Amino acid sequence: MPAQKTMLVRGVKPVRWLLLVLGLLNLIMAQADESSPAFALSGFGTLGATRTTTDEVRFVRDLAQPEGAGKRWDGRVDSMLGVQGNLKLNSQLEGVVQVVSRYRYDRSFTPEVSWAYLKYEPDPKLSLRAGRLGTEFFMLADSRMVGYSYLSVRPPGDYFWSLPFYSIDGADAVLSLPLGESILRAKVFYGISDERIALENREWKLDGSPMTGGYLDLQNGPWLFRLSYANIVFRNNLPFGSVLGNYLPAAMAQQSADYLATANTRSHYYALGAVYDSGPWQLHLMLNHIVQGSNAFQSSDGGYLQAGYRIGPVTPYFGYSWIRSDQRGNTLNPVVASIMADGRADQSTTSLGARWDVVRNVALKAQWDHIDGEPESIFPYRRETKAWTGNMDVLSLTMDFVF
Amino acid sequence: MRRLILSLLVMVLLFIESTPVFAQMVVIVNARSGVAAMSRNEVVNIFFGRYRQFFNGLEAKPVDLVDSHPDRARFYNGLVGKDLAEINAYWSRQLFSGRMTAPPRLRTSEEVIKWVLGNPGGIGFVELSHADARVHVVFELNP
Repeated sequence: MPAQKTMLVRGVKPVRWLLLVLGLLNLIMAQADESSPAFALSGFGTLGATRTTTDEVRFVRDLAQPEGAGKRWDGRVDSMLGVQGNLKLNSQLEGVVQVVSRYRYDRSFTPEVSWAYLKYEPDPKLSLRAGRLGTEFFMLADSRMVGYSYLSVRPPGDYFWSLPFYSIDGADAVLSLPLGESILRAKVFYGISDERIALENREWKLDGSPMTGGYLDLQNGPWLFRLSYANIVFRNNLPFGSVLGNYLPAAMAQQSADYLATANTRSHYYALGAVYDSGPWQLHLMLNHIVQGSNAFQSSDGGYLQAGYRIGPVTPYFGYSWIRSDQRGNTLNPVVASIMADGRADQSTTSLGARWDVVRNVALKAQWDHIDGEPESIFPYRRETKAWTGNMDVLSLTMDFVF
Repeated sequence: MRRLILSLLVMVLLFIESTPVFAQMVVIVNARSGVAAMSRNEVVNIFFGRYRQFFNGLEAKPVDLVDSHPDRARFYNGLVGKDLAEINAYWSRQLFSGRMTAPPRLRTSEEVIKWVLGNPGGIGFVELSHADARVHVVFELNP
């Protein structure tokens, strides 16, 4: 995952996407006469307030956010709104468009198309989708924005920070097979990223970077196990601009640029997950291992454990998560070293919280996180200062809803 | 923060669910489906959309009830020990990650029986006393 204080710019090609959506709707309307298609509009959202106990870094939900919370309550970290239209053409064909508004790279809440695809199910065992699709590098990664669907205030950052990719323009296929009373599910996906990552005030284009992956699920009663793998081949180099040239002699600058090259490097994402969900209990255990092809990024290991127990409409939960990145030993020079240091993450987070399902389709959540890390652990944060100790508490209140 | 935790605790005490009134829930299928009995896991797989075929290959067409119908809470509580907020959270994850949409939600047990009679793969849940000879009971929830 991209270091350098990255800010993810999610696929912004408004015109191209508007055309695709219009084309999709047109296709849907054309088919609509033949059968009796069912259209359903639904949505989800979160109103949140977050603060921390320090102003030495700004806490962000993910790398899409250029600015985060400090010691004052901040509504930008978790607040979002999503609207989705599902048009079922017949029992085999469905069109879906989802638009999400949230605080993003350009400091606005400009809505973006997060999903736009056609799904074809020729057989109850097989599901094929094509269009703009959410990526599922890790379990639950494709529903990170739907706060109502999970227990905690937000997906554990230590586990998901390394995953700034949200969508591909491509296709996926899911095959489900019974294995006794268990279900074995296999998914494969391939697509091209249309996203961009902003570095301070520059943009790093992921455009055209192919992502390939898949997983194997085994579901048995309350248990779900998943083994997954995905990779991305970065298309472009990081836009260092004149940074290297300003600090280094020309030959050395070129050598450094080559050393930090990202173009045509491949990053691998391995993950293992287990979920137990039965009666009042909800338990999650997830592990990941990320191998970065480029010297500009640090490979890492991360994981989280979460346990919740429902008592009436309230579910208190406990969580523990961690991320450790591997520092690369040899560096060419101090400039390269400082660039590489931006990708450093070495911390763990202990969380306590409660979800209260207050009325139908609305949940209130309160969460306390204690982040315990090294002062060099700055990778996911914004505006770190020299006084950053690596430790802080994060307090969050959210109201999640679906409609 | 302390006040918040305290008020959450009070809420817990106030809202602990009372035990639902006894009602034997059963899972019914179309009598021509060829399905004689199902295990709990098979019922779970179908009602949660994990697998959409009966053992004989027939495509299952599950049907659900609206939240306000008391049988819905009874059924899911008895089947997986989950309350409706958790069931709805599950379906919102499926819906907004584009995996699948929830089964249709009908208003009355009569409509559920009509659905099951009208679809060879129809499968729903009703109170035992509603299950007449036109449908086939394949699973009984232990009260």
